[in-house]
Amino acid sequence: MEEVRIGVYICNCGTNIAKVVDCEAIRQSLSKMPNVVVARTYKYMCSNPGQEMIVENIRKHDLNRVVVAACSPRMHERTFRKALQHAGINPYFFEMANIREQCSWVHEDPDAATAKALAVTRAAVLRVAHHEPLEKLYADMCPSTLVLGGGIAGLSAALELADADHQVFLVEKTDRLGGNLARVDLTAPHLYSARDLLTDRITRVREHPKIQVMLESELKNLSGFVGNFTALVGPVKGNGNAPREQSMEVGSVVVCIGYKEFDAGRITHYGYGKLPNVITSFEFEKMLREGKIQTKEGRIPQYFAIVHCVGSRSRDYHGYCSRVCCMTALKYAHEIKSALPKSYVSDLYIDMHAFGKGHEDFYLESSEAKTLFLMYGKNEHPVIKRAQPGDDCEMLIEVSEKLSGEEIEIPADVVILMVGMEAQPGADHVARLVNISQDKDGWYIESHPKLDPVATTTEGIFIAGTCAAPKDIPDTVAQARAAAARILGRIARQKIEIDAVFAEVDEDRCSGCRMCNSLCPYSAIEFDEEKHRSKVNSALCKACGACVAACPSRAIKARHFTDEQILAQIEGVLA
Amino acid sequence: MTFEPKIVGFLCNWCSYAGADLAGTSRIQYPPNVRVIRVMCSARVDPTFVLKALREGADGVLICGCHPGDCHYSEGNYKTLRRYQLLKKTLSSFGIEDDRVRLEWVSASEGQHFADVVADMTEKVRALGPSVFNTAKQEQPQPVHQEATR
Repeated sequence: MEEVRIGVYICNCGTNIAKVVDCEAIRQSLSKMPNVVVARTYKYMCSNPGQEMIVENIRKHDLNRVVVAACSPRMHERTFRKALQHAGINPYFFEMANIREQCSWVHEDPDAATAKALAVTRAAVLRVAHHEPLEKLYADMCPSTLVLGGGIAGLSAALELADADHQVFLVEKTDRLGGNLARVDLTAPHLYSARDLLTDRITRVREHPKIQVMLESELKNLSGFVGNFTALVGPVKGNGNAPREQSMEVGSVVVCIGYKEFDAGRITHYGYGKLPNVITSFEFEKMLREGKIQTKEGRIPQYFAIVHCVGSRSRDYHGYCSRVCCMTALKYAHEIKSALPKSYVSDLYIDMHAFGKGHEDFYLESSEAKTLFLMYGKNEHPVIKRAQPGDDCEMLIEVSEKLSGEEIEIPADVVILMVGMEAQPGADHVARLVNISQDKDGWYIESHPKLDPVATTTEGIFIAGTCAAPKDIPDTVAQARAAAARILGRIARQKIEIDAVFAEVDEDRCSGCRMCNSLCPYSAIEFDEEKHRSKVNSALCKACGACVAACPSRAIKARHFTDEQILAQIEGVLA
Repeated sequence: MTFEPKIVGFLCNWCSYAGADLAGTSRIQYPPNVRVIRVMCSARVDPTFVLKALREGADGVLICGCHPGDCHYSEGNYKTLRRYQLLKKTLSSFGIEDDRVRLEWVSASEGQHFADVVADMTEKVRALGPSVFNTAKQEQPQPVHQEATR
């Protein structure tokens, strides 16, 4: 057997790892291990120079094994395997130690974190020595796509895919397409009509021969793997009118189930639900769409007050910014002024977030349109009171204004609460069905927040729109079309690479007991009656290893998860 | 000095390992006592891996898989559960306390739950002290060759 020559690379990940883990100490310690030829640290191992260093080292030092201690293998295992391939060695001669997600990001004590990082990296070094060269496997890519959610994201993704002549199944849980955008009147900052934006798309989706729209339906089950999923879609619970369950073969899934607006009733101090003219932004949108701006009593209001950050940027509710409310509030100021030129609009904000294209100009226009801007403090809030019978308004708002430092009282007939976005209540259920993750706020997590913002950590499952985080229409559409583009790229290649890991039976050791036969959930194990031996069909095997652990003769080998590899790893973490 | 137990964690690739990663991306802090080994499915965890870990000096072994019904391989975790129950019986006959070897379900979205499991297990194993294998190792004098002493 050829001599094992290992290169070990410890990533600082900027300061993400290095601020807690002493990477240099790990390097020194590991460079003394047998078979380790070279050990290096670098600020970003996944960067081009980082990968080039590994490739160069492989060639220069004649390395045949590589260990990278960095982020999770779920993040960059593929990147580094490609680097190995590029350097001319088998990509499976690689092992990754997770010292970021499972170490530097979760431990504060530098000594303990360094000891743990050293242990898992040492385990990787011991493991990689037992690695074997494996050939990549390929599976067919099913060109159909399942799109969950019929809002602007789902419509955009579906059209992009269907226009390229691929089948799309568009599943929407309500009885209509359009999502939250269908509840909006005009859109900021161009004041385009939301209805115009949607109508054309909905009509095209409805009439598209390649799109099957399934209303009042939801995903019931998803099995299989990238390129080869089987989805079961059925009616939303308690709905008798929707179609019966339908099973479909799809290669990819785009999840775009959108957001739900924050329930203003959770904040008691604004009097929502008690004061009749305190309404949410969506209730005001309804008034605008109906062209009927009036108080609950049917009077034309004179004084409007818009309160920002309701449920957002607050330690008691959601800490994040919902991104679209500031511009929507300015849009209201515009729409109110144009409908009722004699009215007064006060805008109560914490910070004005006008970060998008044309948004700052829109802000400027609004201030020129004589909107009264009043800044209140984060984690403080304006107080809304019913006005006295003698006052010429419905309510009075007390606000401690930050810029002037004064306590100001303003009149209001209608108070519009800019409710933020929150994850859909069923988002966790969908996450479990398609096997993706949510962050602490319930938003779906991208494969990489910057470099791969549409993919997830489950191959073949993509996310788009506000189910990933609050975003505006342009960003939602961009993400939806990007997800479609990613899928189209895969469809064009027709084949997808799958991990070359599966189980195999050593015929010489197999006693023919058939214990494994019934264990396999994929019926991938056949019994050869003639030889009286079990045999794994590698095309059906999904490499779970259940049979490997059960074999009394140790005759089944889990490729890339062999007993030797795992036992070496156990020794490594405990040494 | 407080006793810092060493715990080996076998995490399934699809749910629990992703859950542990999520604890990281969410920056949820937990004790640094668990060293993770990734397996494709909790059903890959051969009981001998647990024994090996205990013999190599682990004070505890944590096995994490997908929630029942959520297994990436449809029912691997049920096999793990059955195997685990048999293993526990064997371990107790060796004097390995109940809290030392633990099976938990952690989904890909349960970063907090993973952190809580690790914190709870670390505390319980710390309370138990070093495992019998480790104390035996320390107490035993250098092995003396039987023939030579006779």
